[in-house]
Amino acid sequence: MPYQTFLSAISLPVVIFSHQKKQLLFANRPANTLFKKLTNTKRGVSYSDIKIILHDFEPPEASGPAASFETRQPIRGKKAFLWLEVTANTVMQDNEIFTVLLVNDITARKTKELQMVQSLEQERSLHEMKSNFISMASHEFKTPLTAISSTIDLLETKLQMDNLLDQFYRHNISKISSEIFKLNTMLDEMLTLSTIVSNNIEVSKQAVAVEQVIHDIKYQYFSERKDDRVLQVTVSGTPRRIYANKNQLSKIFTNLVGNAFKYSSEDPAVKLQYQKSRLVIKVTDTGIGIPEKDIPYLFNSFYRGSNVAGIEGTGLGLSIVKDFVERNNGTIFVESREHQGTTFTIIFKYPQEIPAQQ
Amino acid sequence: MTKTILLIEDKPSLLDTLKSLLELHQYRVIVAANGAEGLEQARLNHPDLVISDIYMPVLNGYELLELFKKDAALCHIPVIMLTAKTEIEEIDLALEKGADGYVTKPFVFRNLHDVIQNALNKGDEENRK
Repeated sequence: MPYQTFLSAISLPVVIFSHQKKQLLFANRPANTLFKKLTNTKRGVSYSDIKIILHDFEPPEASGPAASFETRQPIRGKKAFLWLEVTANTVMQDNEIFTVLLVNDITARKTKELQMVQSLEQERSLHEMKSNFISMASHEFKTPLTAISSTIDLLETKLQMDNLLDQFYRHNISKISSEIFKLNTMLDEMLTLSTIVSNNIEVSKQAVAVEQVIHDIKYQYFSERKDDRVLQVTVSGTPRRIYANKNQLSKIFTNLVGNAFKYSSEDPAVKLQYQKSRLVIKVTDTGIGIPEKDIPYLFNSFYRGSNVAGIEGTGLGLSIVKDFVERNNGTIFVESREHQGTTFTIIFKYPQEIPAQQ
Repeated sequence: MTKTILLIEDKPSLLDTLKSLLELHQYRVIVAANGAEGLEQARLNHPDLVISDIYMPVLNGYELLELFKKDAALCHIPVIMLTAKTEIEEIDLALEKGADGYVTKPFVFRNLHDVIQNALNKGDEENRK
């Protein structure tokens, strides 16, 4: 039985030709259908059609492995095109070289692929726009917020000087003030979360003295409180540096210590234990504690304990903390008893060798 | 003696409010809407203290700090920075460039006033030496 019979049974376009003789030997029915579509005529495949498709593609050597390529072919007279995947084999027969082409119309797949790449690109740029917007907005919002809070201060000062600052004014002015700072905290958290999500967070790491970070945040954020509470800091062991991002460390402890103040009424404590191969940091309060059923979800975004009614918060803080601890190769866990208090423990291993700063 | 403060801030509304607040607290206040104007005012009026925003269109706060610290006639004047960013890097950079204090926006005036008094006291001590 001649080979043509077998090849005709294949549902993919098959073409056999000889470059030497510039001659087409065989094209099955699907091949003819495909080329009719490409040339927009009723005639079947010709040798010159094949040359157009191959362009400058060199068929493989005789009895070597098959070679394949993808090509975009315009449909003559139309503004459309077809994507083809062409696999070529070279066969030697009676000292003559034949090329066998198997052609696959991949237009549908290719179109989808391109659409996907496009929509991915679109999504990426949208995402970038979104996080740029959040970053821009939260910084821009601070200017009017500052003007408002300063104007409130001005009103308060003037009222006081004119001996008009009574309980009513005092109460309502401090209400406006406290709402402004709540809004500000929300902006900061939104900004932090948006940089985490878009993953373009500052990751420059360096050798950091954690006790210095704690000292800095203590005086920057937790000194001179109205209720006179202070952060108790104790250090044991010989201080060593860890390899981390200072900004993220500062956010971690600002958040945990802020929570410890917020959910308790006594002095919170930070214990730094410089152990042999690791630094263990415990942030402890003797406050309302966390109900056991909430603990598994505590680090999820927007999750808040079931006993925090009436206490302000966005539910973002601890998810940011966990993310930052992990980005700095640390681990964090929590132990808590309701009505007794909470301890967050963070562990950082010391670096083997601190890489030289860039 | 009344102290003179040079206030540099490009947002007119905030500039206006802060000026009033400082005046109510018995300071003499000179204002400027950007770093370049601020530098000029400083050379003309020799203030006891400068409060400057960081992000301003003409000559930003960092550039201003650098010029101040290089200038023999101005380098002794304490400079306090107002910053909208709370990142430590940002604050570190301001302190590195020679700022004598900073306040992050938004702030309560009481905090700014503490920072002002600290900077002025420090300035006085150094002048006595």
